[in-house]
Amino acid sequence: MNVRTRSALKLGLRYAIAIAITLFFLFPIYWLFMISFKTADEIYAYPPVWWPSTLQFGSYAVLFRDGDADTVWNSLVVSGVSTVLAMFFGTICAYSLARFRTGGDHLANWIISQRMVPPIAIVFPVFLLYVWLKLVDTYAGMILLYTAFNLPYVIWMMRGYVLDIPVALEESALVDGCSRWAVIWKVVFPMCRAGLFATAIFTFVFAWNDFIFALVLTRTEVTTYTVQVTHYFGGQSNFWSKISAMSVLGTLPIFVIVGFMQRYLVRGISLGAVKG
Amino acid sequence: MAATAGRSGDRGFRYSLVAPSIVILLLIGVFPLVYLLVVSFQGITMMETDTSFHGLLNYRLLFSDARLWQSLLHTIVFTVVALPIELGLGLAMAQLFIDRLPGRQVFVALLVLPVVVSPIVAGATWSLMFDNRFGPVNEIIGWIAGKEMPLLWTVKPDLVYVAILVAEIWQWTPFMFLLLLAALSRVDRSQLEAAQIDGAGYWRTFFRIVLPAIWPVMAVAILIRGLDLFRLFDIVWALTKGGPGTMTETISIFTYVKGFQQFETSYTAAVALLIIVLLSVLVLTALRRVSLSR
Amino acid sequence: MSDLKISGLHKYYGALHVVKGIDLDIPAGEFTVLVGQSGCGKSTLLRTIAGLEVADKGAIEIGGQRVNDLAPRDRDIAMVFQNYALYPYMTVFDNIAFGLRARKTPKSEIGPKVAAAAKMLGIDHLLERFPRQLSGGQLQRVAIGRAVVRNARLYLFDEPLSNLDAQLRDEMRGEIKRLHQELGKTMIYVTHDQIEAMTMADRIVLLREGVIEQQGAPLDLYERPATRYVAGFLGSPSMNFIPAGVVANGAAISVRLGDGTSLPVPAERAVGLGTWQGKPLMLGVRPEHIGPAGRDQRPGLAPVQAVVDLVQPTGSRSYATFQLGGVAAVAELQAHDVSRPGERLELSIDMNRTVLIDAATEKVISS
Repeated sequence: MNVRTRSALKLGLRYAIAIAITLFFLFPIYWLFMISFKTADEIYAYPPVWWPSTLQFGSYAVLFRDGDADTVWNSLVVSGVSTVLAMFFGTICAYSLARFRTGGDHLANWIISQRMVPPIAIVFPVFLLYVWLKLVDTYAGMILLYTAFNLPYVIWMMRGYVLDIPVALEESALVDGCSRWAVIWKVVFPMCRAGLFATAIFTFVFAWNDFIFALVLTRTEVTTYTVQVTHYFGGQSNFWSKISAMSVLGTLPIFVIVGFMQRYLVRGISLGAVKG
Repeated sequence: MAATAGRSGDRGFRYSLVAPSIVILLLIGVFPLVYLLVVSFQGITMMETDTSFHGLLNYRLLFSDARLWQSLLHTIVFTVVALPIELGLGLAMAQLFIDRLPGRQVFVALLVLPVVVSPIVAGATWSLMFDNRFGPVNEIIGWIAGKEMPLLWTVKPDLVYVAILVAEIWQWTPFMFLLLLAALSRVDRSQLEAAQIDGAGYWRTFFRIVLPAIWPVMAVAILIRGLDLFRLFDIVWALTKGGPGTMTETISIFTYVKGFQQFETSYTAAVALLIIVLLSVLVLTALRRVSLSR
Repeated sequence: MSDLKISGLHKYYGALHVVKGIDLDIPAGEFTVLVGQSGCGKSTLLRTIAGLEVADKGAIEIGGQRVNDLAPRDRDIAMVFQNYALYPYMTVFDNIAFGLRARKTPKSEIGPKVAAAAKMLGIDHLLERFPRQLSGGQLQRVAIGRAVVRNARLYLFDEPLSNLDAQLRDEMRGEIKRLHQELGKTMIYVTHDQIEAMTMADRIVLLREGVIEQQGAPLDLYERPATRYVAGFLGSPSMNFIPAGVVANGAAISVRLGDGTSLPVPAERAVGLGTWQGKPLMLGVRPEHIGPAGRDQRPGLAPVQAVVDLVQPTGSRSYATFQLGGVAAVAELQAHDVSRPGERLELSIDMNRTVLIDAATEKVISS
């Protein structure tokens, strides 16, 4: 066998393995999504139905009719608003940490360590606090909590992006007549536009995907889609179509967003340790 | 280099930038901690709001609470099993994709999807997958075994751990894969070529050159995932809610049950503080060894 | 009238004392080059003038006004940075207009001003481009354009040419010098490159370890260096330093090298050298002041024997390395005066142009 056929065979083998692995990781998602388009008979068929015969949208109609789909709106509001707040406050804080070494390494390390506290340990006292402040099951309460929870991430990530900006750009703007604030608006924000965007996406996804905070701190008014999904859990398997449809409503937007974010994915999920 | 420090106006400016963030973090991060500490010395339960000083009573209870330590043990079991498997599989996948493979972008784009799914949804997905009668897992096992296999994945004690670990590994192996692929692609190719010319074999090259080069990223990945596993909640909640009995209860689920189902407020505060102390020790030792910053 | 006056300036980075008491007075319209090795404090000095660093001690006055406590934007300065510092997300036009806009210049004035600056620098056809679409030389012109459009009192350049290749650097040197002649503005230019300093400066300020080693017109420093450091810093190849002593024989004084070579000093340069007898000195000879013996017969030429160790032709000249007084010395010869290593040459040193340095203090005692 000559070298060329051998390497062709090797490539073929690698393709086969790659496809098998990809199928393994995608199939559960396919299965989850597909259930929402099946008829009840297909869902509870034995043996399982691998391909639905027709695409049914009845499961979604039910969610919208009963108002269950509103929980996606709740997710959007609390995730969206908290992302904007966390991005703004976090970025200016990150700028100060990066440029002026405000608080030195101690402050930066303290902030990132905040990120590592388990949510359950945070949410319990926050719950007690919120009962007292009457913030349980309110938009304001959830937004404040997600903002606080995401701040360390934003600060940590944006600190990295700010450090990537050549200082001379800012100095040049200072000499050219900008105030300190103008430098942030006119140089820092435009210079880390991509980083701002990527960090905002991840911040949004973290809040969007959260379950435990929402489980503890919401009741009926601001229930998020993740909590709503669990409402269908339990003995009755006749809720499967709702679990599936609700999950699709919550997951599909994330897939779309992340599809556009490939380039920043690695830096985003590795807390900036790997620059993508 | 730090630019322009020291002019008095700048000093005010830079503190005004950090102030809002610090206030929010103190409000949500530190104030509750103090509150926890106070509550943990009291005797608040569902029945009574006893705010008198109970001293170390709740902390003494910690030590005799078998369920607590079991839940901690479960958490550790999940961590020490899942983490190496995710790391190994992720590394193997990264090795598979590191060489030229036309269409790699598409594979990578598809493989990341599990990572961005909400963990609670991932748990729900696998509870559908593992359904004893209508789920595809048992069907496929049935094909292989040649007979019907109605395994009760989320009920049978000898299967629940497998089910939870499969879901966990499914969701987070791509995370390891992504990070390690990025790290591998940054290994200095000239070093590999030099090793080849020097006659080093595959494994020798891997252990002497590749592994040291990707270790910093690997360490960060292990740190991030280790901390995530320590607070494992969603996937277990979706699949078993900690059951059967308390067999798969993690420390996070235990805390939730104590605080929000049994309303043992003061005791839960002590548990939460215990978790924070344990984790702080872990994080501090880890951070000292892993350089997340530059 | 002086445009910039610095007195008693000190700057620390933590425990590191970077600028150690600098006094400087720069007249309006002068082109001053701050030169020195990296770490000598020249960039720090420039950045302190700009207000990007805060002076720890001493005063800085621009146009007669004390500016220590003013922000950079209030100091009436413009600055060109080493890495161009152009905004990648703005066109060339917007980059040049940035300072005007930041200072709320009326819109109607911005267009013509940018156009004029661009024309002066020959980049008027690039105004719609983005920095990533430009070459290094063009980027440099844009960076300079952004400064000149501002009509500031003081122009600061922080090693602006160090990123360019050799040919472009030559071209831009001339360009900046021409710009200075046209604008007639006070310019302060930092570089580590002695050729840039020599070719561009009205005045060189040579810094060493945070203090001014010597300042003056380029040729003054070149011909009459105050210290061994200055003598060695300016000129390429560098000046040769040979351990030496002086010997008086009646009124006649000669320099004696370690290997016994004796070089007579011309009478008019020997004044006062007698007192240095017996003290360790250094003879400083520039390579271009060592030539083939016998080509001309001026007084003051001292013959030496040389065996060539190494020949480095550059085209117009050839550098020959040989042993002189126990150390390696370089002579700059005509291209064909020397051909190969091992060759024996009769050379002569022009003793009118040498300097004598006190080996203990490294100060020049006769030049």
